Amino acid sequence: MIPQLVVSGLALGSIYALLALSLVLINKATDVVNFAQGEMAMVGTFVCFTLLARTGLPLVIILVLAVPIGGLIGIVTERVTMRPLQSAPPINSLIATIGLWMVFHHGAGWIWGYDPVRFPSLFSPNPVNILGARVAENSLGIVGVSFLVVAVLYVFFEYTRAGIAMRAASMNRRAAQLMGVNIGRVSLTAWGLATAISVVSGLLVAPLTFLDFDIMFAVLLKAFAGAILGGFNSLVGAVVGCLVIGVIENLFAAYISASFKDTFAFAIIIAVLMVRPQGLFTRQIAKKV
Amino acid sequence: MPPRKLVIFLVVAVLAALPFGLGNYGYYILASVMIYAMVGLSLNILIGMGGQISIGHAGFWALGAYASAIVVTKAGLPFLVGVLAGGVVAGLFGALVALPALRVQGHYLAIATLGFALFVQQMLFEWESFTGGRQGLFVPRPSLFGTEMQSDFGYYYVLLAIFLLLAWIAHNFAKSHTGRSLMALRMSAVAAECCGIPRPKHVIIAFATSAFFTGVSGALFAHLLGHLSTETFSLAASLSFLSMAVIGGLHSRGGALLGGFYLALAPEVLREFKDAQMVIYGVLLILCVQFLPGGLISIVDVVRSRLGRKPLGTP
Repeated sequence: MIPQLVVSGLALGSIYALLALSLVLINKATDVVNFAQGEMAMVGTFVCFTLLARTGLPLVIILVLAVPIGGLIGIVTERVTMRPLQSAPPINSLIATIGLWMVFHHGAGWIWGYDPVRFPSLFSPNPVNILGARVAENSLGIVGVSFLVVAVLYVFFEYTRAGIAMRAASMNRRAAQLMGVNIGRVSLTAWGLATAISVVSGLLVAPLTFLDFDIMFAVLLKAFAGAILGGFNSLVGAVVGCLVIGVIENLFAAYISASFKDTFAFAIIIAVLMVRPQGLFTRQIAKKV
Repeated sequence: MPPRKLVIFLVVAVLAALPFGLGNYGYYILASVMIYAMVGLSLNILIGMGGQISIGHAGFWALGAYASAIVVTKAGLPFLVGVLAGGVVAGLFGALVALPALRVQGHYLAIATLGFALFVQQMLFEWESFTGGRQGLFVPRPSLFGTEMQSDFGYYYVLLAIFLLLAWIAHNFAKSHTGRSLMALRMSAVAAECCGIPRPKHVIIAFATSAFFTGVSGALFAHLLGHLSTETFSLAASLSFLSMAVIGGLHSRGGALLGGFYLALAPEVLREFKDAQMVIYGVLLILCVQFLPGGLISIVDVVRSRLGRKPLGTP
């Protein structure tokens, strides 16, 4: 029983990890916690769903198309709502993301209706035998796709100019600007990239349950918990933190209480902030004045 | 009479005259204006003065509502004691929520409040023997000095009085040593701490005071509604509170009052938009942050500066 729970927990965790990566990406590049990230992912998933229903393209193509769709949503959102607030106090941007949450959440209900729809899965739920444990193909597929996204992201940050510019901007915005990094473009890239990744996470989570306008809220909460566990400033930390959260959640639901499995994320957040507020993977950085 | 006092006097006079000529539904709407305006005051303190954000105020609101309902129905204590109990219970939890997030800067508190509100809602839902769980909880009408108030007409004046009391407290809090320290911390935490202002203590005070106000409002709301169910205290409520406070204006008591009017009246005005309503609220919130960061109340200042006068509130 336990190996299955762990593997499906890792699959869940890697879905959270993708959303957490989006949160951390935007936070690093622009110092904004985007509370609407989950809802943007949900809207992107609905767009993919409509595309799938209208055109009948194979699911793999849809998964690939999710990246430009998400990117476009992110870029437009950044231009329209975040750019005008660039020089305002950070709390204003945070409030604006809450406005975005309302727009995307209820906009989706308004456009696509409030009834859940079935979203086909890329992978079959049939179990395969790995080292004696019966593991659903589905879980392996989810972990595989997430791993691919993380690998692409790694290459982007290590080997491309845009990626290096983003890293520089997140370390010291003013110095990066003086070195010729275009801060506006960094912010735009971060929002586009983050939303693209989060739509992939939406596409992975939708087949597990049904797709509806509420689907991403629980995922967002756990992505927050995972990101905080990882330190909120470290991409690696966010991934590991979310994997841990996914596994704990599955074990918790199976052995302790299924009805509290969504709120335990809150307990993790509190516990981390009490014991090791800087997270497991980052050192505490003193703020310069 | 100095102009500021005159303005306040006129506003109170208008508020007192409002219910005349309205029906039962009008009384109910006005009563909810006052209840929302109290939450507006609480966010005034937390966000406007403290610079901390909460997207879980529905949690404190729920705690106040249920605490008062339980105190009044199960322990048989009078209505006003219930309201006070609601405020105190919420205030204690406010301090508790602030506690873990103190050691870090940034938006952790906001995330913690989000989780907290969800936790409270779930807790109230599961703890059936105490809160009625799925069925909910019936709450008696408010009663003062032994007489029960059947109409919302009388209750509106009670609410107005409590709102004025809380507004007075909030106003004095803003001018107190604690309030000013809080504002210094908001502008620069490091600079304020170097001047000997302890950040943890003040953030806890801000959170507890704000939660207390919200708890009182929740308790009063419970008695207005007559029946509690956990669905009332969802994330949507927290977000409505936040947008109301921002749109009204975060830095003044008048802003809180305007926010209350906005939250109570907007659903009436926008009713025909049905599903699109919440989208409009979201758009309004974003537009407000972009073009009118001071909220509706700042329109007054904008007009005054066009006329070449000093903004209200400066001596």
